Amino acid sequence: METMEQAVNQKRSWTTRLDAKKKRIDSVKGLVNGRVIPTDRIVEALEKLIRPGDRVVLEGNNQKQASFLSGALAQTSPKNLFDLHMIMSSLSRPEHLDLFERGIANKVDFAYAGPQSLRIAQMLEDGKLTMGEIHTYVELYGRLFVDLIPSVALVAADKADRQGNLYTGPNTEETPTLVEAAAFRDGIVIAQVNELADELPRVDIPGSWIDYIVVADEPYELEPLFTRDPRHITDIQILQAMMVIRGIYEKHEVQSLNHGIGYNTAAIELLLPTYGESLGLKGKICKHWALNPHPTLIPAIESGWVDSVHCFGGEVGMEKYVAARRDVFFTGRDGSLRSNRTLCQMAGQYAVDLFIGSTLQMDRDGNSSTVTRGRLAGYGGAPNMGHNPGGRRHSTPAWLNMMSSNDSLARGKKLVVQVVETFQAGNKPVFVESLDAVDAKKDTGLATAPVMIYGDDVTHIVTEEGIAYLYKTDSMEKRREAVAAVAGVTPVGLGHDSKKTESLRREGMIALPEDLNIRRTDAKRSLLAAKSVEEIVQWSDGLYEPPAKFRSW
Amino acid sequence: MLNDLPADDPVQTVVASANSILNESVYKHHAKEALHSTKSVQISLLTAGVGAFKAFEAAGVNPDFVAGHSVGAFSAAVAAGVIDYQDALKAVLFRGELMERAYPHGYGMGVVLGMDENMLKTIVRKHYEETNPVFISNKNAPDQITLSGALPGIQKILDAARQNGARCASFLKVSTPSHCPLLSSVSEELSEMLRDIPFYRPLIPYAGNRGARLLFDPVDIRQDLAESVSSAVQWHDASTVLYENGTRLFVEMPPGNVLSRLATKAFPETRVFSVAENGFDDCVFIAKRERSKS
Repeated sequence: METMEQAVNQKRSWTTRLDAKKKRIDSVKGLVNGRVIPTDRIVEALEKLIRPGDRVVLEGNNQKQASFLSGALAQTSPKNLFDLHMIMSSLSRPEHLDLFERGIANKVDFAYAGPQSLRIAQMLEDGKLTMGEIHTYVELYGRLFVDLIPSVALVAADKADRQGNLYTGPNTEETPTLVEAAAFRDGIVIAQVNELADELPRVDIPGSWIDYIVVADEPYELEPLFTRDPRHITDIQILQAMMVIRGIYEKHEVQSLNHGIGYNTAAIELLLPTYGESLGLKGKICKHWALNPHPTLIPAIESGWVDSVHCFGGEVGMEKYVAARRDVFFTGRDGSLRSNRTLCQMAGQYAVDLFIGSTLQMDRDGNSSTVTRGRLAGYGGAPNMGHNPGGRRHSTPAWLNMMSSNDSLARGKKLVVQVVETFQAGNKPVFVESLDAVDAKKDTGLATAPVMIYGDDVTHIVTEEGIAYLYKTDSMEKRREAVAAVAGVTPVGLGHDSKKTESLRREGMIALPEDLNIRRTDAKRSLLAAKSVEEIVQWSDGLYEPPAKFRSW
Repeated sequence: MLNDLPADDPVQTVVASANSILNESVYKHHAKEALHSTKSVQISLLTAGVGAFKAFEAAGVNPDFVAGHSVGAFSAAVAAGVIDYQDALKAVLFRGELMERAYPHGYGMGVVLGMDENMLKTIVRKHYEETNPVFISNKNAPDQITLSGALPGIQKILDAARQNGARCASFLKVSTPSHCPLLSSVSEELSEMLRDIPFYRPLIPYAGNRGARLLFDPVDIRQDLAESVSSAVQWHDASTVLYENGTRLFVEMPPGNVLSRLATKAFPETRVFSVAENGFDDCVFIAKRERSKS
């Protein structure tokens, strides 16, 4: 009884988070002008608004970077700010890791670190950084609302007004998600903007979610990551693209899909108006896309192939084109693109028929990984889209087409396609006995081997040899035979008994180009609807404005 | 290699200071017949590297980072202000003598192209014999790896590498098995010697040979310089660390363009120049233009 009374008497406060937030806000009263932090006092403001040990989510996508705020955070004194726990979807800029080198931060949870993959591995080895977990994008966004709720969110937008309303233009990306996680749990939200405006073209994030804005000394960094110059597409990639269109998209009637960043998929996009047209497939396949505004999709859009495109982010140079094609893209009242990385990742996970991507290594079971030893690159979004989501219930022709039994509870499957050449540059086989990911697990002490796409999710493998229809295989043995049959002269392929190829072809487990009525000699660059960036610009009626590095004329 | 340098004052100062330490003209070490000697080659490399760096400095070009491959690390340390050129020269002389003495006959290095480290490691493990020791040494690129050790041992690995799909596997024209444990006594003596030389805090970060880390502490740099000769040079990683730290222009000091070729291949999006190939003036022009952009 006595203890119970004590417990009731000790009144618990239910507003500790809000109280702490108010204190922080009070601490910068003399420094800020309403909601605006003066540009030259950002370092000082961060040292007051952030506290040692905070969980800080810093916006760094693979495209848009809160580069002014990351630079400022790296300039704070490790005497004032230390032990920060950084949460970032992408570690890309040098100063992201300087935070750890300088002792400002000590722990990280992230999804992708490709551009800093050596430094992060070194710092982990040197004990300068403690690893939380390596995630996929949607997974990390999810944890922002569960057990990685941020104390502070540092984000980037194009413009703000004095009420803190933000305009992100085409590059909304993950900003709303990061802001939401902090703003509604009494965290502090600071947005860097390129300019302060009296009136915004549209409001992407309402001002009541934002605590402070700061005008950056230069516009946030934005990488044109999804621009592929058709000049670099090879004849082999064109052959593979023809096989994909014929042997997968047409065969299974794939209507909605995501494409990766590679030249393989750029080749497919550029073959739709030519090779695809010649097969009479317009209107039957590739109508709905979860995809960034790839310049290489322009010829297909212009030829009437594409009904809709929802985007993760924008793409530098595509702004005017997108605005002029609002029947196809998601756009705001102002005319510019509205992207949303979280929603597009979710769409790519649940709502599309097919994901297609590439990899650096694949084992004989079809597991794939992009891990290089001594590097820690993480996952990004590919695993979100490159798997069969067990929660899917709606059916489409392609999804139903993957059913391989007559069981009364049989269900369909998402198509997960891996397109690879059997050897990488530098004579490295793609098909290997054991993934480097297995060694990486040992080297770094990760809880699991960093596999990008698991073999049991992969429905098709496409190489220059042919297509393996893995979804049809009913045993591990058959699966391995099908993988080996298209693995060329790699260690995995050399183990293949070529006599089995004929029976696999008869059973439809594999298809060679000739089985699809494709002549290898027809796979020529002349089939590409655009053979250069300049020709893409022509297709766009001059609306696409490629960044300088892609201009060769 | 000294011929690629401008005939400016800063270069002449370096040459004069070399001459006074050597008690003879540094150009003697640069003569064709002298370049068979490890010591002479190393003296010439150091003088060319530092001479060029001083010329860049005089022209107003200051780098953000430095790195040097093998003996080039001494030039890099001078460029970073960690040691004086005269001290570097003494150390390199001493290092060269020790290296020449260590294995006068029957040892050397090879290089394997078009095979990754894992596979080459497996081959070395399979064919290793204590009587003819061989080690994987420098990692210049993911598919360009050197071997160091006894010549018959190297021959075996080169043959096996070729049979297992390497694009090219051949001996290098050097007579010292550098960058492997066979030279650990050289490292020990060099380490003793470097203790008597003053080391200063680097003015700019120096990327180390052994661990491929950016080093900021003079003690770490001294250790790197001493131990590099008996450890693998992680050149690909060292240059990758520079790249990840934001380097977008690499300029190779003379002589040659080996390192710039490697950088061009490893980082297709960067600009890569060498004094040997592009000339000093063009390098200065580009460096200044890139600097004004950032």
